[in-house]
Amino acid sequence: MNKKEILKLAKGFRGRAKNCIRIARERVEKALQYSYRDRRNKKRDMRSLWIQRINAGTRQHGVNYGNFMHGLMKENIQLNRKVLSEISMHEPYSFKALVDISRSAFPGNKHVVLPTRKVNVSSINV
Amino acid sequence: MAAQAAATTFNGNLKKALAGLRRIDLEGLRWRVFDAKGQVLGRLASQISTVIQGKDKPTYAPNRDDGDMCIVINAKDVCVTGRKLTDKVYYWHTGYIGHLKERTLKDQMAKDPTEVIRKAVLRMLPRNKLRDDRDRKLRIFADGEHPFGDRPLEPYVMPPRNVREMRPRARRALIRAQKKAEEQEQGGSQRKGRKKEAKTEIAA
Repeated sequence: MNKKEILKLAKGFRGRAKNCIRIARERVEKALQYSYRDRRNKKRDMRSLWIQRINAGTRQHGVNYGNFMHGLMKENIQLNRKVLSEISMHEPYSFKALVDISRSAFPGNKHVVLPTRKVNVSSINV
Repeated sequence: MAAQAAATTFNGNLKKALAGLRRIDLEGLRWRVFDAKGQVLGRLASQISTVIQGKDKPTYAPNRDDGDMCIVINAKDVCVTGRKLTDKVYYWHTGYIGHLKERTLKDQMAKDPTEVIRKAVLRMLPRNKLRDDRDRKLRIFADGEHPFGDRPLEPYVMPPRNVREMRPRARRALIRAQKKAEEQEQGGSQRKGRKKEAKTEIAA
């Protein structure tokens, strides 16, 4: 019985691991361990991905992620990173409004360079 | 502009410039132009690698390659700080025992200046299966012309950089060198007077 369950779980494995019970048992145990660990890792990875996306979105407006979040915390906006990354992907104008709110609350970056425009960059230390 | 003229000026590496363009899937990508003239090598390469990975777009996904096409021009005018022009050495091993080869930056620039930037960028990309595809998106040209003039190009504005102030010893050496250049310009007649001025200034 256990054999049948294990071979069922071993579908899609490479080589003898999907057919032969002795090898499949090892591989399935390992697979279950990995999936246990990765259920926890996935939460971390997803959060990291959201942060990267938010960073990219805010840098398009001249603010980096740290200052952006600081400004939002100051304004007590409690949107989480998942929602913020979705907004930055699909709702660019709303995201720009959020960036403006954050910048007015915490004008961290002095050297503001908007990447696609050709304005004169007046930076302090150059 | 000089698109057609530029397209015919380098027939030699036209093949290399257009190599593998068909393999790149999406043409919803932008074409960014980096001007390497006067830019520091590593800092430029860092910006290029961010753009090539697609990390400046909010739709970044680590499993697919969504970076923009990057064109680098004036690769022979890229700068390095310190003594790297003579001291930075590229090593590679041919596989045969004892055959560790080396080449300095100076020689590499004489041989093929595009390789300097290419190596710098490639070594900044993550080592995964997308690295080769990203390499294919990077086109480097030593001169200021490229055959992609008919595409919608966007120049890349480098973010402003705060250059730290010179270390005291380097600063003193620079001042000394400047004084020397001034002396040689002014000529021999007022030499002694100038030297005394220079010495008192450095001492102060």
